[in-house]
Amino acid sequence: MIEAIAFYSMAAVTLAGAVLVVSLRNTVHSALALGLSLAGVAGLFACLGADFLFAGQLLIYVGGIAILIVFVVMLLGRASDLHLRQVNAQWAAALLVCAITGAGLWRLGALYRHASSQVPAAATTRAIGLLMLGDFAVPFEAISLVLLAALLGAVFFSRKDIS
Amino acid sequence: MRAEPAASAPGGEASPRPVKAPLPTPVLNRKSGGRLLTDTRFWPTEVWKSPWSLPRYRAGAMWLAGIVLGIAAAGFAVGELAVWAEKLLALLGRTSLPPAVAAWVWVLIKLTCVIGVIVVNGLWAVWWERKISAHIQSRFGPMYAGGFHGWAQTILDSIKLLLKEDVTPAAADQPMHLLAPIMAIAPCVMAFAPVLFGDELAAAKLDVGVLYIFAFASISVIGIVMAGWASGNKYSLLGGLRAAAQIVSYELPRGFSVVPVIMFAGSLDLAVIDQAQAGYWLGFVPRWFVFYPVVGQLAFIFFLIASVAETNRTPFDIPEAESELVAGFHTEFSGIKWAMFFLMEYGYVLLSSFLLAVFFLGGGAAPLPFLDFIPSWIWMVSKAMLMMFVFLWFRWTFPRMRVDQLMDFNWKILLPWSFANIGFAGVLVYLHRSGWGPG
Repeated sequence: MIEAIAFYSMAAVTLAGAVLVVSLRNTVHSALALGLSLAGVAGLFACLGADFLFAGQLLIYVGGIAILIVFVVMLLGRASDLHLRQVNAQWAAALLVCAITGAGLWRLGALYRHASSQVPAAATTRAIGLLMLGDFAVPFEAISLVLLAALLGAVFFSRKDIS
Repeated sequence: MRAEPAASAPGGEASPRPVKAPLPTPVLNRKSGGRLLTDTRFWPTEVWKSPWSLPRYRAGAMWLAGIVLGIAAAGFAVGELAVWAEKLLALLGRTSLPPAVAAWVWVLIKLTCVIGVIVVNGLWAVWWERKISAHIQSRFGPMYAGGFHGWAQTILDSIKLLLKEDVTPAAADQPMHLLAPIMAIAPCVMAFAPVLFGDELAAAKLDVGVLYIFAFASISVIGIVMAGWASGNKYSLLGGLRAAAQIVSYELPRGFSVVPVIMFAGSLDLAVIDQAQAGYWLGFVPRWFVFYPVVGQLAFIFFLIASVAETNRTPFDIPEAESELVAGFHTEFSGIKWAMFFLMEYGYVLLSSFLLAVFFLGGGAAPLPFLDFIPSWIWMVSKAMLMMFVFLWFRWTFPRMRVDQLMDFNWKILLPWSFANIGFAGVLVYLHRSGWGPG
């Protein structure tokens, strides 16, 4: 009962945050609503017993990425105070894409409607660590290599004096 | 400026010791029942020998002291009696409450204790910081309020902050301006959930305790950025931007410097990390992680430096640098909203002190075997207070760094060396597994 209340309230927070991101007229408010939505996703992880994902989501998305987005938006200066229009001429096409994606997700979700989420809560950290450095060591290292390449690329392109 | 009375005139034929005028009789305003003073010019040191003789002031102080003492007593009662926690829980169960409600009441009790710790710590740390700064600078610091070395100074200060007008600037974004202090203080309270106050003495036992604390501690910066932006003031905005850049940067070495500790203990659970440091080498050298050769000391120093930077304190206080940005992100906040930011800062100082004690100084373990009879929470709190003293000491002895120095130091020194330290820790763990070194 309490689990269901927690889960659905977190889902509501996530969705409300996501709607606010696209509907608020002030860019900074939108960026903060994105942080709320990401925190709601972390709450969903917590409700489903994924404790490591919960902490990781908060640490990386809310504490890192959301703040960097707010940082960039604030650096825009006066432009962040502009109250921009929310729709342009393409709104019908966008609505269509959203509807199709939504319908697809709905059908996908329907497949797992009867799957139980009532797994007994257990610590996941050790198992995740063993998998990442055991069975999935190669994909894990490959992802780190991709991220390293992205990092180096960013440093290379932001250098002013390329000789 | 008018000349002072002859008593303080330089030189002259006046006697070296000025003759004190008799104290004027205190005049009370009859209309308000003798409560308000009409003449408070000389208060508190001249007319009123003791500030406690002012009735409203005294009543307010009593109220606040009562609330604080009540919270402290609740925290102490439930905290120290953690040995009896099962009995207390059973007592809750034996009442006619349904089990679900009893569980919620239990959570509320623990929450009250944690909030009590944070609030009392705010009062204590501000007074202590003022005394330490004063003694470092050859001053006295607070001396009057309460009698003994101005112990009541911060209690009275918080009454003042509660009574002050709450000003919201016209250029501010009203809801954001209101929300910012809440967004700053709420994660601070939540981050205290898995913090150990003694062996096994924590509000929540979490398997991902370390990650959980770092995750919530990293959210507070959103409150700081919101405060900076919502104030509608360019100094505040700059302070918020600097805070965001600094805290996001220093989070990396702070997290990575703890990785060796996690490798040694083999868990993210604070209680396991605490237990892993029990015992002694050769019968008297405590097996604390700070005593692990090279790795322990490096990790300790990196974590300490990064923690000071995370709490925005000197020498890393560029987000609120007085000489550049007025007061940075909290320039436009007054009264209790402003107090929330300070509560947050001292809350994080306390959090970092407890983390330093648990990660590196053995947590609740006694430094020498024969001192084991002292309960673990006394050791834990005294180690945390020692670390807090280091934090306050830093603030008053180091000059502020420039923005570029700050970033260079983080990205070019702290981060690479904390990575290297993880490698050293790997070597140490490997040597240990293959049978080298003492146990």
